[in-house]
Amino acid sequence: MKNYASKWIMQRLTAVILIPLTFWFVYQCVLLSSYDYTQIKAFFYSKINASLFFILIIAMLYHAKLGNETIVEDYVTSHNLKKTTKSIISALTYLSMVLTTISLLYIISS
Amino acid sequence: MNFRKKNILRNYKVSVLLYKMSFDRPLSPHLSIHKKVLTAVFSIFHRFTGICLSLGAILLSVWIILIALGPDYYSMFQNLSTLIFFKIFLFLWTLTIFYHLYNGIRYLFWSYGKMMELSIVYKSGYVVIILSILSTIFVWISI
Repeated sequence: MKNYASKWIMQRLTAVILIPLTFWFVYQCVLLSSYDYTQIKAFFYSKINASLFFILIIAMLYHAKLGNETIVEDYVTSHNLKKTTKSIISALTYLSMVLTTISLLYIISS
Repeated sequence: MNFRKKNILRNYKVSVLLYKMSFDRPLSPHLSIHKKVLTAVFSIFHRFTGICLSLGAILLSVWIILIALGPDYYSMFQNLSTLIFFKIFLFLWTLTIFYHLYNGIRYLFWSYGKMMELSIVYKSGYVVIILSILSTIFVWISI
C-alpha cells in the first residue's frame, strides 16, 4: 500500500515540476523551429538550457511511466499481460532516460 | 477430521480461490456501457493524450540522440520536418500538450479537494478546452 501512495505523490510532484518546464520548452521550440543544426547544438551549450531540458525529460519520462502503469493496472485484467506490459514500459522509460543523459553529456562535452 | 482441522482446510481453500480470482479481475471502468458524461470523457481523453505524450517523450529523446549523433543523422529529422504531414503531426502534438497540461492542473486542484463543486467542475472543463485551443493557435501564430 505504501508503494502506491508514494507513486501517487510522485505522479503529482512530477506534474508540478512539468507545468513551468512545459511552458518553457514550448516557448523554446518556437524559437528552435527556425534554427539550423549548429544553432540547436549551441542552445544546449548553455548550462541553464541543458539542465532544464535534462530535468524536463527525466520528469516527463517518469511521469509517463507512472501514468501508463496506472492505466495498465486499471484496464489489463490478465496477470501475465499486466506483468509484460509493465516490463515493456519500464524498459522503454529507463532506456530513453539513459540514452538521453548520454546524448546530453556528449553534446555538452563536444 | 475434527472441526478445527476442517476449518483450517476451508480457510485455505477460500484463500486459494481468492488468490486465483485476483488474477482475472473484471475491467474497472466499463467504457462501452456507461453513458458518456463530460467528466468521464475528460478523464478518458486525459489518459489517451497521456499515452500519446509518452510516445512523444520517447520521440523527444530520439531527437536529442539525433543531435548528439551529428549533422548527418540530424538531417534525417530535418528532411522529415519539411513534410506537411509532419506539420499536422506537430500541430496535434501542441494541442495534446496543452490539453493534458491544463486538464492536469485541474486534476491537481482536485487532489487538494478544491474546485470540486459540480458547476465549477463543468465550467473549468470548458475553460480547459478553450485555453488549450487558444494556446495552440497562439503558438502556431508565433512560429
